[in-house]
Amino acid sequence: MIRLVIVCIALLAASASASMAQARPMRIVTLAPSMTEAVFAMGAGDRVVGVTDFCDWPEEARTRPRIGGMSNPSIEAVIGLAPDLVVMTMDGNPREFEARLREFGIKTFVSSAKRIADLPDAYRAIGREIGAPEGAEALARELEAALSAEAPMADGPRALFVVWPEPLMAAGPGTAIHDVMTLIGLRNIAADSPIPYPKFSLEEALMRMPEVIFLGSGSGMENMGKIAENLLSRLASTPAVRNGRVYYLSDSLYRLGPRIVPGMREMRRAVEAGR
Amino acid sequence: MRARLAMAVLGGCAVLLAALVLGPTTILPWSMTDVERQVMLSIRLPRVAVGALMGAALGASGAALQGMLRNPLADPYILGLSSGATLAAAGGLMAGLTFLGPLTIPALAFGGAMASGLIVGVMGYRGGGIWPERLLLAGIGIGFMLSAGLMLMMSLSSSEGLKRAVLWIFGDLGIAGWSLVPMGGVLIGIGMGLALWRARALNTLMLGEDLSHSLGFNPRREAGVLFLAVGLMTAASVSLGGMIGFIGLLVPHIMRALVGPDHRVLIPAAAVGGGALLVVSDLIGRTVASPAEIPAGIVTALIGAPYFLYLLRRRDILGA
Repeated sequence: MIRLVIVCIALLAASASASMAQARPMRIVTLAPSMTEAVFAMGAGDRVVGVTDFCDWPEEARTRPRIGGMSNPSIEAVIGLAPDLVVMTMDGNPREFEARLREFGIKTFVSSAKRIADLPDAYRAIGREIGAPEGAEALARELEAALSAEAPMADGPRALFVVWPEPLMAAGPGTAIHDVMTLIGLRNIAADSPIPYPKFSLEEALMRMPEVIFLGSGSGMENMGKIAENLLSRLASTPAVRNGRVYYLSDSLYRLGPRIVPGMREMRRAVEAGR
Repeated sequence: MRARLAMAVLGGCAVLLAALVLGPTTILPWSMTDVERQVMLSIRLPRVAVGALMGAALGASGAALQGMLRNPLADPYILGLSSGATLAAAGGLMAGLTFLGPLTIPALAFGGAMASGLIVGVMGYRGGGIWPERLLLAGIGIGFMLSAGLMLMMSLSSSEGLKRAVLWIFGDLGIAGWSLVPMGGVLIGIGMGLALWRARALNTLMLGEDLSHSLGFNPRREAGVLFLAVGLMTAASVSLGGMIGFIGLLVPHIMRALVGPDHRVLIPAAAVGGGALLVVSDLIGRTVASPAEIPAGIVTALIGAPYFLYLLRRRDILGA
């Protein structure tokens, strides 16, 4: 009798989980590194069946089949994975691609987040779509808490964030990097740039005398130090180089995703350690 | 026409001075702060020098090439040298080569240009000299082949090197430093000297090979020397700062309209015109959107093309 009850309960549980599973997507394809990182961080990584060539975080994401680049994903590769949801972003994916996926009857979700401030709500929306609301809520709360806890440092130094050393490209307004610099209280010397990632004038970099220089060196940029040598020698007279306040940061802030929070801490730690 | 050349040289000097003084901030040489002195010495001077050298090389080699090939559409890049330079430089960037430090990529570019130039030269060579038509077609063929190789390499790569390669191909003067100026100056000087030395022969080539021959020149051998001159200048220019369009093709036409078709005057005039145009374009590119910069190659065509079209309308450029 007891055995029968146990079997019944087991059957019930199995059918219940099966019906729940049908409600949420089981084969997710993410079309941007930031989306991949978010979905994995929400605890739904095991349901991700395809990622872009550039998705390298977390480590597990590297094991997923690749579907091409962010701006030029392969429609055949995506369809071949038979996804029941494709997670995209307005920040880098072509709109026509979404239309084509829909023509094939594939469900899509497009995140519209472009700034850090948009991110908590974007997490919640993604969480609802992929059926991981708790994970999404935790992620959103973590970011909101980090944002409200961040007190800008008084009299923050002038700073330059080098995205690329030769030719010099800086992080300007409209980027997550600039937002984080401002939150921390740094004064971005590229703040008046007309575009987010300007090819920045070397002359102006010298004249504006940055007190801190960050070099973003993420995956695939292991020899950033070597490439940057030349730039730093040409910026030798800036307070940042003279006082040894040149910091190599990870690529955490390059992507509008869950690594923004550790990236923010990393930047702040670097600046404060050098004070 | 010599007076016009003198005026062009004076104008060129004025442009060089303006490019040194003006910029995102105006720097007056007689009252410089420490930072301004550094900007002047380590950024503006080498940048203006590289721009002047590149522009001069492209202008002069365009003038020589159009005369030698008797083709108004000839452009130094048409000989496939730039494709060779780009392929080698992009390959080096993607493979992360650094065997010569910061000189690695310029050296690779120069080597690539000379190697493709050699192939084109061999293809264009027959019976003791260079045949212009063969040279032209060989250049176009090699160019297509190498460009396809480049595209293939780029489409299969997703690394950091790809980004560097793309930035390199859209060459600009923003990274110009002193390191390349001496070598570039020597190579371009040799090329320019060769072209000027054979300028009289080039004038006769314009009249047709038979006439040139009867005037005492060996057209095929002259074409060979001129090809070497053009090759040296183009290869050095590409390795200095990547590819800059427009100058090699259209500056010779502009200068021909201004100083006439005599290559003894036209080649130096095209050198001055090309140098001045590139330096001015770079000045505009680094100033108007400051602190952001616009690559000089874009500005060159934006300001050069309307002037060229104006001349085309006003004067009979091709007949000049």
